[in-house]
Amino acid sequence: MGTPYFDYHALAPVIVLAAVALLALVVDFVWKDGGRRAVPQIAGIGMLLALIPVFTLAADGETRVMFGGAFVVDNYALAFAGFFLIVGYVAVLLSYDYIDEGDYYRGEYYVLLLTSVLGMVVLASARDLITIFVAIETVTLPTFVLAGWRKHDIRSNEAAIKYFIIGVLSSAVMLYGMSLIFGLSNSTLLSEIGSVAGGDNPALFAVAIFLTLAGFAFKVSAVPFHFWAPDTYQGAPLPVTAFLSVASKAAGFVAMLSVVALGFFASPNSWQPVIWVLAAASIVVGNLAALRQTDVVRMLAYSSVAQGGFILVPLAVSGDNDAARAGFQGVLVYILIYAAMNMGAFACVIANARRTRSTEIQSFSGLGRSNPAMAVVFTVFLFSLAGIPPFAGWFAKFVMFRAVLDAGTTAAVVLGVLAAVFSVVAFFYYGTVIRRMWFHAAVDLGDTGSPRVPGALVAAMAITTTVVVVIGVYPQLFAKIGDLAFRAT
Amino acid sequence: MTEFYRSYLAVAVLILAAIGMVGFMLGLGRLIRPVRAQEQKYIPYEAGSDPTGTFGQSNVRYYVFALLFVIFDVEAVFIFPWAVNLESLGWFGLVEMTIFVVVLTLGLVYAWRKGVLRWA
Amino acid sequence: MPINYFLILSAFLFCAGAYGVLARRNSVLVLMSVELMLNAVNINLIAFSAQAQDVAGQVFALFVITIAAAEVGIGLAIVLLIYRNLRSPDLDRVEQLKG
Repeated sequence: MGTPYFDYHALAPVIVLAAVALLALVVDFVWKDGGRRAVPQIAGIGMLLALIPVFTLAADGETRVMFGGAFVVDNYALAFAGFFLIVGYVAVLLSYDYIDEGDYYRGEYYVLLLTSVLGMVVLASARDLITIFVAIETVTLPTFVLAGWRKHDIRSNEAAIKYFIIGVLSSAVMLYGMSLIFGLSNSTLLSEIGSVAGGDNPALFAVAIFLTLAGFAFKVSAVPFHFWAPDTYQGAPLPVTAFLSVASKAAGFVAMLSVVALGFFASPNSWQPVIWVLAAASIVVGNLAALRQTDVVRMLAYSSVAQGGFILVPLAVSGDNDAARAGFQGVLVYILIYAAMNMGAFACVIANARRTRSTEIQSFSGLGRSNPAMAVVFTVFLFSLAGIPPFAGWFAKFVMFRAVLDAGTTAAVVLGVLAAVFSVVAFFYYGTVIRRMWFHAAVDLGDTGSPRVPGALVAAMAITTTVVVVIGVYPQLFAKIGDLAFRAT
Repeated sequence: MTEFYRSYLAVAVLILAAIGMVGFMLGLGRLIRPVRAQEQKYIPYEAGSDPTGTFGQSNVRYYVFALLFVIFDVEAVFIFPWAVNLESLGWFGLVEMTIFVVVLTLGLVYAWRKGVLRWA
Repeated sequence: MPINYFLILSAFLFCAGAYGVLARRNSVLVLMSVELMLNAVNINLIAFSAQAQDVAGQVFALFVITIAAAEVGIGLAIVLLIYRNLRSPDLDRVEQLKG
């Protein structure tokens, strides 16, 4: 047997993150008073530090394969690893004041956040069912604790228990599917499963694929596996909600994309209808439910369900004709853009909740007069989510429709029409908030907090706004990332 | 009958023998002992002292210890395959396992620093 | 020994577990049902692993076992939290929160 092959350069982002997470833990329990200041800094710097090897690896451009093909560092993995690290950094920025000022400061918060991001970075490189499973659990286990962070608030507890039960149930379903796939293909490597998938397989193979995808569908809260999302998003602390709705959702999509693109791809009849139904149902139910919400967090929760449906559209059509490339690129680009605009929207919600102590949509009334800068920024994010140019959201929708046109089958076109119709529906609920901000007088909310927006939140808004505006104006940048990521495959 | 089932025949015989043995002993006792019903005989036996109250929930404080035990106990499964292959893995294996154990130990030190291990 | 026997056993266990998760009102029983589902997965993995003479299935099962332990640890902690906040030993009240 001997020593397995290690490429320390390729593993550097993972090693750095793991070391930083342990360091944050040790600093927190050894240095109790100073830790409160130091731990968030360590977490933020750690995320950025782990980005350095991602960039050097990208500059190097070489595909590195380890552990018998179970762990691969290629452009696809690096694109997502870099993305997760930046999202993690923004999540630290969002959390800083919220966690510091509440009664719930604990250094563990950042340790758990780092661990979750560590799982995501591993997930980006995982090319084998065992690695994918371990990575996805590393992503979700800390988030169960984060969702219940406000220990004495029963709503936060409720968020945690619902998320937990659905999370472990979905893991079990996913694992059952994976165990059958292992039995039928005699391998856990996606590449070998891929070569088996093209052959003549028993019906059980389709069942196994269905179960695996159903497990992922829970993680990305696609309809009909979405019912936990609004309650959990509303009950969890707001920065955690932002993290859940972006990072852990994106992780689910990455796992789904890897498994479909590299594993099941050759048997489209067993995965395409499943994803088609998930996409269509998510778009319809997500958008319609979002219309009825009066709480902005619940509205964003349903909007993220709907956006998840849009992300699934390119994947659902990627098996037709030669839409594969356009489809996979569409998923990747949509995830990147969705993350920036949703993170940004949550930054605004957090800032507004600090000011008004409320997440009701009516608490945004008159924001255009009292804090025009924030109102403009929030309007940008909402426009972007609705897909209005010149903000990044339109480009996400554009790549989605391009994949639909590349596929060109009836099923693809039906899905495309559905997506187009419900994109228009989405204008209404995003528009409600915008109207409140600009055309309504402020509502008296009684006890209100400080109107000052703290520096960390401003930084988070600045980063996400830059991405949304720059990509909206110059979309070639993300298009190039999408291009590079799928050159090898 | 296949070879597989035949190998389980011994298990079936053993189960039957066990049932027979217990039945025989209890039956024999029943035949030769006197039967005198008394109130005290129906009290649950609690190591000789009189039982206090009914069966209750176990103390919440046990939970943390049980949890720590389960986690460290289960993580030990990774050590077994390592131990079997220790010779072929050599120094590399030793270093890897040291890192693994150090990370686990950090978890324990964390629990200790947070005062979880104190019985308060 | 036909592998189907193992698959049927595990399918039965999995369904029993899924039923328990969906129908049980008590959160501790829900956790136990999840364990049942995960053990069904383990039976599958070990059976396939033995059939194919491939050790990957056993490695997979080891990871499933360890992660299941971590999951239950967190799950019990959350249940305990709710128990403390509601100040009631009645676990049915926890289940009122289920939607």
